[in-house]
Amino acid sequence: MLFLLRRILFYLAAFIAAATINFFLPRLMPGDPVALMFSSAGSELPPESLEALKLTFGFVDGPLWEQYLTYLSSIFTGDLGVSVKYFPLPVTDLLGRALLWTVGLVGTATLISFALGSFLGMVAAWRRGSRLDVVVSVSAIFATSIPAVVTSLVALFVFGFTLGWFPTGYAHDPALDPSFSLAFFASVAHHAILPLVTLCFVLTGGFTVTMRNNMINLLGQDYVVMARAKGLSDRRVMVWYAARNALLPTVSSLAIALGTVLGGSLVTEVVFNYPGLGNTLYQAILARDYPVIQGQLLVMTAAMLVSNFLVDVSYVLLDPRLKGSG
Amino acid sequence: MGQLLIGLRRNRKALVGLAIVLLIVLVAVAAPLLTEYNPAGRTGRPHQPPSAEHILGTTRLGQDVWARLIYGAQTSLAVGFAAGLLITVVGTTLGIIAGYRGGKTDEVISFLTNMVLVVPNLPLLLVIASFVGQAGPMVIALILGLTSWAWGARVTRAETLSVKQRDFVKAAEMMGEPQWRIMAFEIFPNVFSIVGINFIGSVIFAVITEATLEFLGLGDPNVISWGTMLYNAQKASALSVGAWWDILAPCLALALLGIGLSLLNFAVDEIANPRLRTGGRLARWSSLIRSGEGRL
Amino acid sequence: MSDALLSVRNLTIDYIGAETDFRAVDDVSFDVAPGEVFGLAGESGCGKSTIAFAVSRLHGPPALIRKGSEIRLAGRDVLGLDKRALADFRWREVAMVFQSAMNSLNPVLRIEEQFYDVLRTHTGCTRKEARDRTAEMLTLVDIRPERMRDYPHQFSGGMRQRIVIAICMALDPKLVVMDEPTTALDVVVQREILQRIDELRRQRGFSVLFITHDLGLMVQFCDRIGVMLSGRMVEQGPSEAIFRTPRHDYTKRLWASFPSLKGGVLG
Repeated sequence: MLFLLRRILFYLAAFIAAATINFFLPRLMPGDPVALMFSSAGSELPPESLEALKLTFGFVDGPLWEQYLTYLSSIFTGDLGVSVKYFPLPVTDLLGRALLWTVGLVGTATLISFALGSFLGMVAAWRRGSRLDVVVSVSAIFATSIPAVVTSLVALFVFGFTLGWFPTGYAHDPALDPSFSLAFFASVAHHAILPLVTLCFVLTGGFTVTMRNNMINLLGQDYVVMARAKGLSDRRVMVWYAARNALLPTVSSLAIALGTVLGGSLVTEVVFNYPGLGNTLYQAILARDYPVIQGQLLVMTAAMLVSNFLVDVSYVLLDPRLKGSG
Repeated sequence: MGQLLIGLRRNRKALVGLAIVLLIVLVAVAAPLLTEYNPAGRTGRPHQPPSAEHILGTTRLGQDVWARLIYGAQTSLAVGFAAGLLITVVGTTLGIIAGYRGGKTDEVISFLTNMVLVVPNLPLLLVIASFVGQAGPMVIALILGLTSWAWGARVTRAETLSVKQRDFVKAAEMMGEPQWRIMAFEIFPNVFSIVGINFIGSVIFAVITEATLEFLGLGDPNVISWGTMLYNAQKASALSVGAWWDILAPCLALALLGIGLSLLNFAVDEIANPRLRTGGRLARWSSLIRSGEGRL
Repeated sequence: MSDALLSVRNLTIDYIGAETDFRAVDDVSFDVAPGEVFGLAGESGCGKSTIAFAVSRLHGPPALIRKGSEIRLAGRDVLGLDKRALADFRWREVAMVFQSAMNSLNPVLRIEEQFYDVLRTHTGCTRKEARDRTAEMLTLVDIRPERMRDYPHQFSGGMRQRIVIAICMALDPKLVVMDEPTTALDVVVQREILQRIDELRRQRGFSVLFITHDLGLMVQFCDRIGVMLSGRMVEQGPSEAIFRTPRHDYTKRLWASFPSLKGGVLG
């Protein structure tokens, strides 16, 4: 398990790197960083709260490294400051609430599009050159090359406003209070369909192309030819010999794709007015609520690192060559 | 490199993609000839649907959508290509140096590359852009160039590793050529197709990301580009008030440019990686099978 | 030769291009008798492997077996088999050992699994029966049966190739095609494997279609040899004759390029 341990250390370093960017950015900008970061609050912020905020973000009297350590220690103790716009709501509370919706949306969309994309890529590669392959590959290119913001807006226009099939905003009917009732869950599902389908549309094409390419590169391998020579059924050869091996590089590309996934979800949430991280961030950007903007980078990075770690674990489970040697 | 050009000329996807991109470039360049309106000025009543006067209607401020669209193309293309070029230059340079030099240099660059790859790109860009304030198009291009090179560096490094094993590189080393010459004149021409894929991919990424940043309100709203068109339309609630032309026009333009560039990219990939190619030979093969000339 | 096990007649195979075709195999005919080892010699790209693939009908587009070609195995018309009959024919009648020893086994399936899928497909046996058969086959090639639970990467290259040979024996095929079976292995392992194949052949009586560019191996191992030059078979006959009194110019040049053979191996 040395492999996984090394990955964890690496992710820790990456997280600190993101925090370091947060730390230096306001200090690199011209002018007074404290004034810049909390300017949007105007005079509404009580002096003692401003002092607390300055401490959280490392604006203490002392050399730079001391400021840096102060900032790091507040992050690792879970203190991301308070929102300037929604004062006195702590950033962690604000983002925590939003994170739940984003994880639900992004997690579901990623799983669906990964499964669907890998399947389509497998079939297209297995029958490459056929009409099916041409249709699948060309649609995949088109789907991946259209920006998420465009897909979202068009989907909202067509299915939300013109056809009126789906609601045009929020995660559930605002008249319903969150509860464990069928009506509430039905409302959540109804509100999630459009953003979910849009995200899947944005993401599936990429997985399809990756899987198709990986698979085509594997079809000439001796073990695939030998499987055919063994007289096994087409399906057995396609799934257990070709696709099962092509899945390994596809899974590792999933780790890189997660960045795109998060980016796509940000935009989709804004367009559908979905109360996840993206929308929270959008409101924060409009208000220049810097503690929230900085906090979301850390939360997003953490989410990305955790998902990367999950990908690493599944890679180890999928590849027997990594299991034994460690 | 020459082979790549010949391949491109024969590839249908490449031709269609090239035609789309060239058309958009042409329209952008000829913008003053294609409209009489000032894209920034109030030229009609607010939110007019498409008509003979305003073929794509007007915005809430009464600006002509078609004029804004074709002038906006200038910005989107300029940012896309400038950022794409910057991303490619940084990525290719780091990738070739890491791959060719190996050792400690490689370790440092690869560590950096992997680190940039796991920090989510768009959230990072949002933080940087929000501190910069209202970023103009070229500032956005610069930020994109400095934060988005990692993927290109990784693939170029991998390709360099295989090229540097080849005989002509060994020969150049034996003759005592300086390292920078080997990297520039032996390695670079031989990883050129990867560089091409990286470049087109980066342009797509830059066009999309610029539009996204501006849509999210991080651009300079006075600049005329497809992203700020989306931002202003969204702020004017164009969809809920029924002014679909205001939002769909930049949407379709972005989609078209994206598709054109992607077709080009896919074609370059096919030419560089013959196994992905399907082409005309299969059609001939199928017809021979059908006519009973042979079998498998 | 009417009692031949494998009989190839006028075999012509093209690789179809967008405009022109490449003729990989041009009007080749030969026979392999039951229990015989027949070798195909020639440099790489001369069409040997294309023939090997055609015997099990493994080609995919853009390869095309031209009409007029004929392949018969034990009297059956191989090129006329439909999909089901072909699936049944493969491995039961003709098994195959591939070039790269490191790469013939699926890296993500246990050895046991790679025996089981062939046994289940062809004999419909249970997992228990398959396990017994697997143990028997592994013993045949000197691999401890309990290692069937391991994955391919846990074996050396030579061991992997022995496992492939064991999988070949699982259904007692009539013909085993060996496409450069030992190129990826070092010389000692090479010899060991060929000796093992020879013993098995004597015990079980299958024929071998042996393909290599290594003429030393070929002369030692084969009863008869066919020499190929750019898709055509220029000469065939008993090994001894091909080696001592080659008739075709190309064959003479082939021998000349291997000076160590003269008087060495056979002499």
